[in-house]
Amino acid sequence: MQPKIYDVVVIGSGAGGGTLASRLANLGADVLVLEGGPQVNTRTDFNTHALPFEFPSRHIPTMRPGKPGFDAERSRGLGGKTMLWNAVALRLSQRDFKGRQHDGAGEDWPLDYADMAPYYDRVEREVGVCGNLDHLTDLPDGIFLPPVPLKCTDIAIQKGAEKLGVKVIHVRKATLSRAQTSRPACHFCGNCMSGCDVVAKYNSYDVQMVPALKTGKLTLRGNSIVHDLAISDEAKVSEVRYFDRETRAEGSTRGRVVVVACACAQSVALLLMSKSSRFPNGLANSSGQVGKNFIPHITAGFELFLEDFIGKPSENDEGFLDHGYIPSFMHDKKRDYARSFGVQYGYHNRRATGWARSIKGMGKSYKEAVKARYPAYMTFSPYQEMLPNDDSFIDLDTEHPDEYGLPRPRRHWKLSEMDMRLHNDMKRRCQEILEASRAEILSVSGEPATNHEIGGCRMGSDPRRSVVDATCRAHDVNNLYVVDASVFPSASEKNPTLTIMALASRTADMIADRLQKREV
Amino acid sequence: MANYSSDRRQVLKLFGAISATCAYPFAGDELYGQTVHEHGPSQSPNRFLNETDYRTIERIADLIIPATDTPGAVQAAVPEYIDFVISRESQHQAVVADGLRWLDAQAKQHGAERFMDLGEHGQLAILEPLCEAADAEKTPARNVQFFALIKRLTADGYYTSRVGLIDELGYKGNAVRASYPECVHEH
Repeated sequence: MQPKIYDVVVIGSGAGGGTLASRLANLGADVLVLEGGPQVNTRTDFNTHALPFEFPSRHIPTMRPGKPGFDAERSRGLGGKTMLWNAVALRLSQRDFKGRQHDGAGEDWPLDYADMAPYYDRVEREVGVCGNLDHLTDLPDGIFLPPVPLKCTDIAIQKGAEKLGVKVIHVRKATLSRAQTSRPACHFCGNCMSGCDVVAKYNSYDVQMVPALKTGKLTLRGNSIVHDLAISDEAKVSEVRYFDRETRAEGSTRGRVVVVACACAQSVALLLMSKSSRFPNGLANSSGQVGKNFIPHITAGFELFLEDFIGKPSENDEGFLDHGYIPSFMHDKKRDYARSFGVQYGYHNRRATGWARSIKGMGKSYKEAVKARYPAYMTFSPYQEMLPNDDSFIDLDTEHPDEYGLPRPRRHWKLSEMDMRLHNDMKRRCQEILEASRAEILSVSGEPATNHEIGGCRMGSDPRRSVVDATCRAHDVNNLYVVDASVFPSASEKNPTLTIMALASRTADMIADRLQKREV
Repeated sequence: MANYSSDRRQVLKLFGAISATCAYPFAGDELYGQTVHEHGPSQSPNRFLNETDYRTIERIADLIIPATDTPGAVQAAVPEYIDFVISRESQHQAVVADGLRWLDAQAKQHGAERFMDLGEHGQLAILEPLCEAADAEKTPARNVQFFALIKRLTADGYYTSRVGLIDELGYKGNAVRASYPECVHEH
């Protein structure tokens, strides 16, 4: 018997893989999704509503006893990181797509906002995004469900920021503020990042893949760790090789089209691992660009107490974590660096009380000081864009293989002097906003840290300087696509997930078109 | 405590209502919140610390977070938590052993055989300078490290306990609300 050849094999099941696979299945393509982690039951498998005193260590494990997944590796499990994300869903602006045109540094996307807008519209309608229409140049409005009111503590920051001419808006999240397509509205338990067991918060598995299974065109295969993409004489991916995560049994499958959507560093690692005589330095890497241009978000972190709330009675203000957002406000200001930053704040969960150990003193006065500050505690984290440089890249660590014997992706990053100028200005301006908001600052992060991994398989029109084209197709390999944040030529300061989903939806249409025309 | 469990019942009631009124995606017999977690670490019969050391740690925890109009660290079973963590962290064990020895040596200078023989005044006279040094975060000496460790574990243990988190701080999350309220405060 001939082995089955799928129309499309998708590796990875998160925001990129899940959106693309479900779209293609709904368009009638025969799709297989290979996910390295196990399938989890969103309703029953996460410790969503646990409290710390239920565990001797006081640490709440991600998964309930005996349930596999996510604890060891945040991205491994059906649904990928969308299971545990905080759901901030922001559109990139025209200025983000054409950053180089605006400030002469970094890279432009080979796409305009107008190319992406219909796909942002589509995914927002599909998954439900709440937000306010704010009419900002740098943060385009979308198709929004009603916004969720700002918390009292958010308004304190809003008032402080206002004094400096800085705008605080309602956060935009892929969490339902009213019921939609059999999903209930958010009930504001505050445990969004512990797995939303009612799926008011978007995850790619329950929201996209489960409905797409009804088409009969979608096959999900969990616990399948892909380690090699074999290539044919015509420079097409001919075979996807994987092994079972538990039994280690080898398997392989075929697809007319193969999509790599494993999340930034893992996608880079898979391409670099897939060596052949044609691509001795890794698949689709004739340019040597695979792994280059790693541009993760750079963050700073503040912990603070809002003075106006110290000593006030404790209220249930968990909400769905952060309700406010400070959009980029530097683009139009005179400054000695390119790009900008935005601020997420107030996303702490009030089950977490680790800050109490940092309050000075002991005895009755200590106890009173902690209690008084509990309603006033807040986290505050600006995110900046960094520009690509030669010292920031992902490669393979072959000397320290993972538990499966595979080389691990290794992240290297270094901020340029200009990135550091942005970083220092970002911290200074955040400090100003906090002072204007009457905050008692508990801690300020020292060194810059990374978050939101972006880059490594840059999109571009020049095959010598990029890995994929504007449709996310590899320049070198006719039937290979990469669909995750690794393809972003520039990161913007905005959370990447909604853009990953819009790209995935767009690429799905283009793949469907090519399948129909028998181009692949 | 009472508030918390009644919240839990409300959760069940509310979700029953939600499932009846909208096309709730999950089967009605497996509703949110019906899974009951085991509560609290059990009273461990096998302590890591010996009785004398355990009582001394218990006393320090009691002085760091005393019972006031609300229960303190001892009532919240914080000493058991500290024992649990120390038993698993070998680097803590040496710090604790040295610290306890140092306390008893100090007690002798205050005319007592051991730290535990001192009254509250004498005990605080030894601990409060350590607390100030720990807060100043200067490269801490071994005895300051010891105090900082016990304070950290006491704070962690207390504010993650049911007593500390819910009764003392007033955590009210993990509840079900039909909508999020607009702020009505004056800012």
